[in-house]
Amino acid sequence: MVSGVSAPVKVANETGTVVAMPSPAATSIHVDGVSMCYPLAKKKQRTVLENISLEIEDGEFVVLLGETGCGKSTLLRMILGQERPTSGKVYVSGKAVERVDARSGYVPQKYSLFPDRTVLDNLTMGPETSKYHILGRLMPGFRSFRKQVRKEAMRQLEHMGLRPTDAGKYPHQLSGGMQQRVAIAQALMMKNRVLLMDEAFSALDPATRASLQRLLKTVWNESKPTIVFVTHNTAEALYLGTRLIVLARSSHEDHCGSKVALDMKLPGNEAGMSLKKNGQEFLDLVDYVERFSRGNRHDDQALDESAVDGEEEAV
Amino acid sequence: MRDTQASKSRSLLYAAAAFLLLATCVSSQAKADVPTFTVGWSVYAGWNPYFYMQKSGILKKWADKYGIAIKVQRFDYAASLDAFVAKNIDACTMTNMEAFDLPAAAGVDSTAIIVGDYSNGNDAIIVRNGLTFDKLPGQKIMLVQKTVSEYLLERGMVLNGQQANLSKLKLINTSDSDIVAAFMNNKSNPVVVTWKPLVSQILADKSVHSIFDSSKIPGEILDLLVVRTEVLNRPDGSGQKFAKAVSGAWYETVAQLAAGQANAIKYSAGASGDSVESYKEQLKTTSLFATPKSAADFTTSPTIKQKMDLVRQFCFAHGLLGQGIKSADDVAIIYPDGSIQGKKDRVRLRFNATYMQAAQQGKL
Amino acid sequence: MAAFSPFDIVDIQARPNRLVAQALSCLLFLICIGLYMQTSINRHKENPEDRVTPNATQLANGIHASVFEPAEEDDYIPADDASKWERFKHSMIVKDTVSSGRRFLISLALLIPAVVLALHIGLFPWFGAGFLRFVLFFDKIVALSLLPILFIVFGIDEWSKIALIVIGVAPTMILDVTQMVKAVPQEQIVKAFTLDANNFDVAYRVVFRQVLPQVINSLRLNLKPMMLFLFAGEMIAASDGLAYRIAIMRRHMGMDVILPYVLWVAFLLFAIDLSLRLLNRRMHPWFQA
Ligand SMILES: Nc1ncnc2c1ncn2[C@@H]1O[C@H](COP(=O)(O)OP(=O)(O)OP(=O)(O)O)[C@@H](O)[C@H]1O
Ligand SMILES: [Mg+2]
Repeated sequence: MVSGVSAPVKVANETGTVVAMPSPAATSIHVDGVSMCYPLAKKKQRTVLENISLEIEDGEFVVLLGETGCGKSTLLRMILGQERPTSGKVYVSGKAVERVDARSGYVPQKYSLFPDRTVLDNLTMGPETSKYHILGRLMPGFRSFRKQVRKEAMRQLEHMGLRPTDAGKYPHQLSGGMQQRVAIAQALMMKNRVLLMDEAFSALDPATRASLQRLLKTVWNESKPTIVFVTHNTAEALYLGTRLIVLARSSHEDHCGSKVALDMKLPGNEAGMSLKKNGQEFLDLVDYVERFSRGNRHDDQALDESAVDGEEEAV
Repeated sequence: MRDTQASKSRSLLYAAAAFLLLATCVSSQAKADVPTFTVGWSVYAGWNPYFYMQKSGILKKWADKYGIAIKVQRFDYAASLDAFVAKNIDACTMTNMEAFDLPAAAGVDSTAIIVGDYSNGNDAIIVRNGLTFDKLPGQKIMLVQKTVSEYLLERGMVLNGQQANLSKLKLINTSDSDIVAAFMNNKSNPVVVTWKPLVSQILADKSVHSIFDSSKIPGEILDLLVVRTEVLNRPDGSGQKFAKAVSGAWYETVAQLAAGQANAIKYSAGASGDSVESYKEQLKTTSLFATPKSAADFTTSPTIKQKMDLVRQFCFAHGLLGQGIKSADDVAIIYPDGSIQGKKDRVRLRFNATYMQAAQQGKL
Repeated sequence: MAAFSPFDIVDIQARPNRLVAQALSCLLFLICIGLYMQTSINRHKENPEDRVTPNATQLANGIHASVFEPAEEDDYIPADDASKWERFKHSMIVKDTVSSGRRFLISLALLIPAVVLALHIGLFPWFGAGFLRFVLFFDKIVALSLLPILFIVFGIDEWSKIALIVIGVAPTMILDVTQMVKAVPQEQIVKAFTLDANNFDVAYRVVFRQVLPQVINSLRLNLKPMMLFLFAGEMIAASDGLAYRIAIMRRHMGMDVILPYVLWVAFLLFAIDLSLRLLNRRMHPWFQA
């Protein structure tokens, strides 16, 4: 059995409507009995998520794991406000989410930067628009404010490991890794407490990916924002997260959506786990987690296979 | 199997080739035997009879008599002129003005062999709100520019003592296909100059009226049948035969029309899609030279020279003769009596009464 | 370089060298000019005053007349000692270009609201629901067939011609821009909202900025239809303009003036297209296409 890991926390589903909000100080994201169905052709429906409830506390680094198509991105989009759940509700910072707004920062896998703006303009865009909207730029205070934001953006840029000369470049002139660094910086410029990342590092090569993981870990250690990070790389999940949530569906029929299969706190969250540091314990954990993500925790034969797979992936 | 199919298709090919060869031989022989001529005409009260002439077989009768073939083809007016200048057709109906400023000015030596009619009210200036000639300057005037419409307008101004104001007219070139709609639907456009049957359509609205029409300038807007002179002078004499055949057919047709023969009128009206009533109404304002005598008399009279002089001066003043031509005399006109209007070495348009006279004397 | 073999012509991987490529690109032009000259010489042999294919002197006269002589309907009579510039300023080609150009530019300006509408249709679901079907339908209407209605509504002056252009081009343009707006990745819009942008920030400062270079490209493709509609309008009812002159000249086959006019219009369109392209490259260095 897996040692040194707390047993999976079974989250109790609260039935009935929630009238009193959970205390906003502690709870950053509150997902309340959320289900999501997409219409299919011929009046059929496909349930993607089924009655999911989560409490994510302020300062947690949550990693969402699961097989492809299990609804990780969908859940993230609902926290973001881009999609409304078929039933249930999502609260961020104590308020219900209706539309996409500035409560959460967002770093998608692709198209994260505005191609028509330089790196510097991408960084300053957030603070600028949030203070001075489209016509506000004609106001007298705008120029001095902009100067100040630019200075801060340059600081942030260097913090992200980019050179000042990169500030004037357009996104298409940057490598994929640099683009994602800028995207994180851009989200951080808003100083929001919630950061949602959807496979933000998936398109990068292993070395770049590792360095970005370290960067993200540092950033989180510095200001402890709430991060929800979607990935399907278990090793990445174990290294980054303080809490790990696995979504899986129990059968492949259309009416059967994904549920929370595993929800556990990870130890040693300051430094993060890795094969190098934790050795066999890490491998066991990978194996354990992946069994859940396949949704077949009672199937012993599949367990062996997944252990082999897990090893391969973790290296 | 495949082989036989291939040989079969090949023999078919040979047969087709042989047939084609034969066909071209025969047709070229036929061509060599019977000279063929093409007459282009366009829709107008005075020209519609060409349609009847062909339909009734009159034309074929005359062509057979002279041992030639004559085709009649309908065109849009502008297209018929283009085809004539490009030498795609041998003869074409046109007004005296176009005969002068198009083929003649473009160096295509042309001969008018039939003077069919003159507009005697077919073209009109129509106004709103009881405008008079002295009020026209400054008003927007819709017309097809550089045509007899503009000529009529200018003559109207001159005859009403407004010559000094000619340059103050504000002309709007409006396509004849849209001119009725454009005039009727815009009360801000008070003047239009156009021809029948458009004039009748516009005058159906009782709030407008005509202040001038071509009956006030009789004999100035002539409708002709023009033949290229080189065709007429073909060494084998076929051009002469063509001219005689057409003239003969024309006067037989016109005689029927003038006699009010039902079929003649019905077919002529049908040529432009008009009703018989509407066509009869148009004929009233078309002064048809119904007998060869009247046509020949007019063509040989001194009047035609005066009228043509007005027209050619107008064409020159309005740049209708093109950039190359520096004086109206550069496009000279020769009349049946041998007198020449313009430079002797630049005769381009000929009025030839020979065939009309021959018809008059029954020598066709 | 390997020797030329005739099969290179149908070889996708064979590249002519620079000089040959340049020469080849001129070839068709030369052939056209040659054919024209051939026809012209032949026709002039038959009829020295032929107008259908004017020869060099006729063309030179025609060009001179259009560039240095006032339009025939104008009152202006140049003084005998008037300078070339003075004559040019009052020439018919300048007069016609100015009046056609004004119509063209006004219609171009009227396309701006159309583009803004398209932005809203593509981005705001409520606008899309309200307008998209209608524009789709309207786009299929042949604008020229509406001309009698345009005459009634706008009169036969400037506005009916401008309306013809706008009605002819705007729906296509709107549909095109709507497509571009919809093609902007959803991530960009979501991202902008997370940066505290409001709806108008997203519409004008994120989406519009991104599609603008494509809009300009679409406009470049639409220049020719615009000119086509302008010509149709001017030929049907006008008292000045490039197409008006061509229509008038056609009455007496003034090809010596028409040909220079046609080339001038082609050149103008080319110049507008080129300047839009350069503007695009200048304004949007980030845009690669
Ligand atoms: N707009 C939509 N309409 C219909 N079905 C959808 C829609 N969006 C997502 N789905 C379905 O929902 C399921 C979950 O999609 P989602 O993108 O959330 O998966 P994911 O877990 O992020 O997968 P991946 O790891 O490949 O990104 C998929 O099966 C997908 O087909
Ligand atoms: Mg996904």
